[in-house]
Amino acid sequence: MNGEPVSTFQFLGLTFSTANIVAGSVVFLLVVAVIFFTSRKLAMKPTKGQNFLEWLIDFTNGILKGSIPAGDVGKFGLWGFTLFLFLFLSNEIGLFIQVATRSGATIMRSPTSDPIVTLTFSLMTMMLAQFAGVMKLGYKAHFTNYLKPFVFWLPISIFEEFTNFLTLGLRIFGVIFSGEMLLGVIWNLAVSHGIVTMIVALPIEMAWQGFSAFLGAIQAFVFVTLSSVYISQKLEVEG
Amino acid sequence: MLSHLVIGQTLYYGDTIFYVISFILLMWIIKVLAWGPVTKMMQERADKISNDIDSAEKSRNDAAGLVQKREAALANSRSEAQTIVNTAKTNGQQQREQIVTQAQADVQTLKQNAQKDIEQERQDALSDARNDVADLSIEIASKIIQRELKADDQKALIDSYIEGLGKQHES
Repeated sequence: MNGEPVSTFQFLGLTFSTANIVAGSVVFLLVVAVIFFTSRKLAMKPTKGQNFLEWLIDFTNGILKGSIPAGDVGKFGLWGFTLFLFLFLSNEIGLFIQVATRSGATIMRSPTSDPIVTLTFSLMTMMLAQFAGVMKLGYKAHFTNYLKPFVFWLPISIFEEFTNFLTLGLRIFGVIFSGEMLLGVIWNLAVSHGIVTMIVALPIEMAWQGFSAFLGAIQAFVFVTLSSVYISQKLEVEG
Repeated sequence: MLSHLVIGQTLYYGDTIFYVISFILLMWIIKVLAWGPVTKMMQERADKISNDIDSAEKSRNDAAGLVQKREAALANSRSEAQTIVNTAKTNGQQQREQIVTQAQADVQTLKQNAQKDIEQERQDALSDARNDVADLSIEIASKIIQRELKADDQKALIDSYIEGLGKQHES
């Protein structure tokens, strides 16, 4: 972003960003590790790891229950859980690990500080919403929803789909990207005049890092909440 | 296509595919590792809790029934004990009376027997004594008669006797 060199590579005729691939893989492995180590020795009487996992499952199910009708929550539970865990770790990882190559190209940061990643998740949500709507209501009822409350609403309905897609993806990107950028600015301040600015910048950095961690959690929560709202809109026939 | 929307950047379409695939893969891994087993366990726990509540309710009812039964049995056994004691008392009373009556009757019989025996003894003794006296008097009398009846006495007696005979013949 902002004019810095970006490390890319070509594979099968497609362009890949090294940072996104590396960060995505790291988050992927982190999620698998968290899930693996908390799901050992499952028992009727839960122990530490299982307690945490069950709390997390209840939490994401709670988000989904907030908007999706009770009968359909079960189908989206796994999706909501995976989405929340992946986005949460994606938001937080860039606050602690940022790696750049010698040429200045970042290769490790939050995956969600790149719009292509957040828009990918946003697109997945929109497609899932369409798919779930067709599955639940059938093609006819699903697409006549676009003509409600009256036929001329169609352009607005289509436009709304597009804006939902954009706002959902860009909201999380904006918060995470700006958070990391400000961390970078504070870091530049810290190294600008030796030890004095280092001492001054340390509490600011800590405060902003804490705030960004909080924002990262909020954004993951908001993303899952809004996703479930968009899905729930497709699950019912509008009056 | 969309690259002109992002200023000065090329869009990495490859990343989209990478993230979609990794997300689906992640969902699958989570399902196999955690989601399936954990939700199953949670469901089992919910079932178990509801079963436990039901069985606790049942146990409570059973216990209440048992308490009632026990109290009824207790009351029953108390009244039974009362009956037994009463019966025993009545029996004892009856037996006592019977024994006393029996004893009295026995004593009466014994007394009568004793009196009868005594009377008998007295009669026997009296008759014995009478016989003895008679024998003795006869013996004494015979002894006296033998000694007194000397020759002239005998002669006189015989004479009297013959006289008597003669008189008889004359008449």
